[in-house]
Amino acid sequence: MTTTSSADIAIAATGISKRFGGALAVDDVSLRIAPGEIHSIVGENGAGKSTLMRVMAGIIESDSGSVEVFGTPVDPGTRAAIDAGIALVHQELSLVPEMTVAENILLGAFPTRFGFTRYKDLKEIAANALAEIGVSVDLDERVSRLSVALRQFVEIARAVARQPKVLILDEPTATLTPAETDYLLRMLSRLAEGGMAIAYISHRIPEVFEISSNVTILRDGRQVLTAPIADLTPQEVIDNMVGRELKEDLQTHRDATPGEVVLRATDIEAPRVNSVTLEVRAGEIVGLGGLVGAGRSELVRAIIGADNRTAGRVTLTRNGRSVTLSSYTSAVRNGVGYVPEERRTDGLALIMTVSDNIRLPNRQQLSRFGIKAPRKIAEFAQELADKVGLRPPEIEREAGQYSGGNQQKVVLAKWLGRRPDFMVLDEPTRGVDVGAKAEIHRLVKEMADNGTAVLVVSSDLPELLELSDVIHVMRDGRITGSLTREDATEQSVMTLAAGEAEAVA
Amino acid sequence: MMAQQTAPSAAEATTQSESSRLAGILTWMSQNGIFIFTAILILFALIFVDGFGSLMNITDVFHRAAPIGIVAVGMTFVVISGNYLDLSVVAQVATAGVILIAVSNSYGLFPAILAALAAAMLFALVNGTAVGIFKANAVIVTLATTFIGLGLLRFFSGGSIFFGPPDGPIRTFGLGKIGPIPYSAIVLIIMTIVLGLLLNRTNFGFLVRSFGVNESATRLGGTNTALVIIGAFLVTAVAAMIAGFVLAAFSNTAVSNDGVGYEFRALAAIIVGGTSVFGGRGSVYRTFLGVIFVSVLTNILVLSGISFGYQQVALGVLIVLAVSLDALARKVAQR
Ligand SMILES: Nc1ncnc2c1ncn2[C@@H]1O[C@H](COP(=O)(O)OP(=O)(O)OP(=O)(O)O)[C@@H](O)[C@H]1O
Ligand SMILES: [Mg+2]
Repeated sequence: MTTTSSADIAIAATGISKRFGGALAVDDVSLRIAPGEIHSIVGENGAGKSTLMRVMAGIIESDSGSVEVFGTPVDPGTRAAIDAGIALVHQELSLVPEMTVAENILLGAFPTRFGFTRYKDLKEIAANALAEIGVSVDLDERVSRLSVALRQFVEIARAVARQPKVLILDEPTATLTPAETDYLLRMLSRLAEGGMAIAYISHRIPEVFEISSNVTILRDGRQVLTAPIADLTPQEVIDNMVGRELKEDLQTHRDATPGEVVLRATDIEAPRVNSVTLEVRAGEIVGLGGLVGAGRSELVRAIIGADNRTAGRVTLTRNGRSVTLSSYTSAVRNGVGYVPEERRTDGLALIMTVSDNIRLPNRQQLSRFGIKAPRKIAEFAQELADKVGLRPPEIEREAGQYSGGNQQKVVLAKWLGRRPDFMVLDEPTRGVDVGAKAEIHRLVKEMADNGTAVLVVSSDLPELLELSDVIHVMRDGRITGSLTREDATEQSVMTLAAGEAEAVA
Repeated sequence: MMAQQTAPSAAEATTQSESSRLAGILTWMSQNGIFIFTAILILFALIFVDGFGSLMNITDVFHRAAPIGIVAVGMTFVVISGNYLDLSVVAQVATAGVILIAVSNSYGLFPAILAALAAAMLFALVNGTAVGIFKANAVIVTLATTFIGLGLLRFFSGGSIFFGPPDGPIRTFGLGKIGPIPYSAIVLIIMTIVLGLLLNRTNFGFLVRSFGVNESATRLGGTNTALVIIGAFLVTAVAAMIAGFVLAAFSNTAVSNDGVGYEFRALAAIIVGGTSVFGGRGSVYRTFLGVIFVSVLTNILVLSGISFGYQQVALGVLIVLAVSLDALARKVAQR
């Protein structure tokens, strides 16, 4: 069908199939990307995007099909893929937290002489890679001390440092704010102009239209369509992803009638948090906006006690009765729920079943005298799995066997079951597809309608605007301004977030 | 270019890739191999090893298996919690034995049991606090408490051997049998069932496992993780105490180096049983089978006249094999 000879194609994956247990995750998919082309791969959660990319990067072996780079077949295995010039930026961060930025960038490829690491060279190469993507970060800083966004950029620097011919990015913008996303997209266009072939995965359709020249749509592992982006409209892309027409019923505002103040946090101090005071009322959704690194996650963690706070007081009031929250355990016991930012490290036990993951915070109500009630657990977990639209809804499967977006649904399900009085959601729809996102938004609103006080952190501005009744914008660990639903626009939030200085990454 | 050339053939559906089939086999082996290996080993011994099937020998195997097994089923909790092992069972077994004989000689049986229980709780508290609250490494902590425990025990006991009275409850228990099965083995079976239920059916057991899989997620699920870890060490300590009783009752003597080698042999049984040293995966029942396997193997070697040195080599090789299989299965499964 194509006239170009295979040697002109940077990467050609042909007839890739991969089966996990009984189900085909990728079903006979073929992908060709030319040098300088940005090719987007889109599809719902579990469509097989990550699996296809992992096959191309040699991380998993496909059951059938082949991968060629400039006409040369690539052997299985990550080593061969790296040597062939394929670099993958994982959907989930894969840095070593206790190593420095420079060490992480060159992990697995340390420059050595006589077997000794040459730290000078190491730092130089790392610095170059960071310069190439235009990000400044201290090379000697430990990765564990960086914000999630900076980690994402370090991750990209790591791929770029290998000077790949083919760069694969699996949902790189899921953790980024709009400004950072813009920055990343410009960077990718620049890299493509330099001749790199780029495979790009995102659930954010506007991004796909902004940067890619071609798009491949996957559904249930099958290749529905590959076409130049210019031939498609966003609605057509979405319809092809879901295989039916998805009605745009976003922006359904609730009639919020907030009740009593459920959560009152006073003068909270913690690392990266400077004396913040805020309130959340029953039935109210309060959003926290700001650039990544502004201290939003740190603030919510300090409020509920997931991290220590150095000063401040938090009280939780329900039906006129107040308790002062001292520890995270007491917070949970008193009706606090928390969907953390990092689902794989903080949100889920990956090698345990969905049912066990849901059981964890709900174990008291699913047992009698400390002895588990298996039937109750199964019913409870199944009901919640159905409620969040887990696909496939098999609660006895290990959580780690689900796609990223579906894992996020499991984390949400864990806490929905507790019907918390105060719910904290940190990036609740990261990596979740359009349809599921609308569904999660509906669940969050429903929770608020039932009287839960909700505090949401989101870097996804449309999401923040849609969900929140009030938005507090943070910068440098402080709340720099608050906007009501009427005043809040993407523009007004960003203005408060950026302050005077134009800040990016 | 639409890619709709070939529909997946029927043959393709059945041929999984090499690596995933290998992963399946390895995982299955590392998790279920013990059932088959134990059965084969016993069958082999019954047919080929002279004297293995005799009642006296069976009693002897049980007698040797019981105290190690009791330690092992308890220590399984620490291993599943992801904290490798509790070395201090060496000191705990000896302490319990010495307290049982020495204290009951002077004050009677009941005070002796209470005193041993107090000692066990002290061990668990120190180990559990250091590991669970201060996040210290379990291997180092329990190595230190082994020294402290044994040091104190030698100081108080003066290093002497304690002899129990020629008759009385301890002796009756130590020599009692039902058919060829000594009471000690029955204690092991009861411990296995009770601890198996504790691990599989209770919230505590669930949390131990969950902690072994992902500490952070378990904590953020609203768990007081320090209590879970102290609990895991407490289960181990109580089991080690009972093992010390069983051991002392059988020989009717107790001395401060009674527990030497127990940490290693218990760990061997746990690992051979298929409980993962990485935490999270495993079961008390597997450990029970691991104990049977290791004990029968040792017995075969003894009956065949193979020297103690070679027995140790065999045990060492077995552990390396089992651990490698576990690690390999994990690695292949992750691909
Ligand atoms: N290790 C595994 N074991 C079993 N099934 C798996 C495994 N990894 C993925 N799957 C299954 O393969 C299918 C495709 O998953 P994949 O991660 O490729 O989806 P995705 O398109 O990247 O989704 P998302 O947008 O949510 O990241 C899913 O149904 C998933 O459950
Ligand atoms: Mg994915």
